[in-house]
Amino acid sequence: MIEVHGLTKRYGSRLAVQDVSFRVERGEVVGFLGPNGAGKTTTLRMVTGFLRPTAGEVRIDGFDTAASPMQARRRVGYMPEGVPAYPEMRVTEYLRYRARLKGAPRRQLEDAVERVLDQAHVDDAADRIIGQLSKGYRQRVGLADALLTDPPILVLDEPSSGLDPNQNRDMRELVRGFAGDKTVFLSTHILPEVEATCDRIVIIQGGRKVGEGTPASLRSGGGRRIVRLVGPGQVRAFRVALQGASGVRGVISGEQGDDAASVRVEVDAGDAALDAIFDAVVAAGLRLRELVVEQTSLEEVFAHLTTTEASDAEGPGEAPEERPA
Amino acid sequence: MKALTIAARELRAYFVSPLAYVVLTVWLLWTGATFYYFCTWFASNPSGSETYTPLTMFFSGNMLLFLPMLVFVPVLTMRLLAEEAHSGTLEQLLTVPVSDTAIVLGKYLAAMVMWCTLWVPTLVYVLITTSYGTIDPGTIVSSYVGLLGIGLYYMAIGLLMSALASTQVVAAVLTFLFLGMLFLLGIGQFIFPGPPAEVLAYLSVWGHMTDFAKGIVDTRYLVYDASLTALALFFAVQAIDVRRDG
Repeated sequence: MIEVHGLTKRYGSRLAVQDVSFRVERGEVVGFLGPNGAGKTTTLRMVTGFLRPTAGEVRIDGFDTAASPMQARRRVGYMPEGVPAYPEMRVTEYLRYRARLKGAPRRQLEDAVERVLDQAHVDDAADRIIGQLSKGYRQRVGLADALLTDPPILVLDEPSSGLDPNQNRDMRELVRGFAGDKTVFLSTHILPEVEATCDRIVIIQGGRKVGEGTPASLRSGGGRRIVRLVGPGQVRAFRVALQGASGVRGVISGEQGDDAASVRVEVDAGDAALDAIFDAVVAAGLRLRELVVEQTSLEEVFAHLTTTEASDAEGPGEAPEERPA
Repeated sequence: MKALTIAARELRAYFVSPLAYVVLTVWLLWTGATFYYFCTWFASNPSGSETYTPLTMFFSGNMLLFLPMLVFVPVLTMRLLAEEAHSGTLEQLLTVPVSDTAIVLGKYLAAMVMWCTLWVPTLVYVLITTSYGTIDPGTIVSSYVGLLGIGLYYMAIGLLMSALASTQVVAAVLTFLFLGMLFLLGIGQFIFPGPPAEVLAYLSVWGHMTDFAKGIVDTRYLVYDASLTALALFFAVQAIDVRRDG
């Protein structure tokens, strides 16, 4: 289990991560979503103990990363972004070295390496030199490294970057396979990946958490729905009619057909808003032919959360790619 | 235990790189030429003394040994931590259950093995000298003890600079400047008269090796070596900790 509370990271005057809190329960696969530079990598680095938070705390299975770093680190398999590895080493040699550092018992060393080579599908590159591997292979070597000593918690930074579609599918299946058994926290900006692999999503923008929930709840919720209505008349008439109707947040777009207008409206969640639309349209002397609640895609939710709300909020502004100096 | 794992990887990386062979080749050519020079000098100016031989000259009062050391030490130590930071592998090293102290000790152990590889080949010169004359075996032992003492803090300072710097080049330059400064302070023993000279002689590799090569094991030098080493390693651990602030 990962518990993050009030996590904040300040670089000089810039706040890279600001008061972020969330939990990842045992057996859960949680996606950490956000545009580039939102503070994803910085957050993961604090969760894994590479960076010290400016404020806030991280608990790994109850162990505070500041007070009990060794116990916390022993429970986490971490795959950093870009998977830096010693280029002169061979894959098995590297994994053996890593297993020793992680404290794998000498007698189980070979078994552990064999197992992760198989799990991460890198057995065919076992004897190759890391510096000569393609990005996809390096990525999987990084995953193999994270799986050594079979840790209960996996933290993966952009696990699918650099993978081809087949490798990507393998990676998803592998991660999905951990659900129920391991606690997985992975960062990404690829939305289909999140939909396919994650039980829950935490969305971050400009260093702040802007959303959290299951893919379904995020799609339907955020307290916001898009409704499309079609009726005979002018778009302008519908705009006027809907103005001020309770629960209606605004008209997003209107399209004028030959004899009918099609209007997309943003409304509050809940059926009251739909009733209000109907009443408002009738009260204006207009008629309806269609009233459809649109299925919001996660992409729209993401775009909504990471653009509008962030500009409302007093964010730290354009954050350059987070790297410690 | 984990320090040993780190040291082993470091040494392996050093010996699979061309750097090790370039360093060792240049070093051997240099020391060989130096030794040859002293041998020919003694051949034309025989001393007949057991404590004043080509070997004592080689190990003590000569710039030919100390000046190259100021270059070789930075070259050997620059990669230790700066390269891990630069390539990003430090992130993986700092997220496994290994203490910062173990990391520093592992790197330091590797550095000391590198230092020793510089001096093991000079045993050939000992062999050559002893087969052509009598030499006090005590001076040989104390010479190597002296070299080990200097190596202890030279390599520790190199490691500290590599922990502080973000690239190898910066680490090498910092080490060179720091050791160069210590070296110049040591030279001060010949410049300033009175009490300052005594203090400066104590800091000097020159005074250090002149004594040890003659068979005089002055524990004050060893205390100095050990304290400077401990201090440098302590700060190296702190330097890693500071990196966690980003």
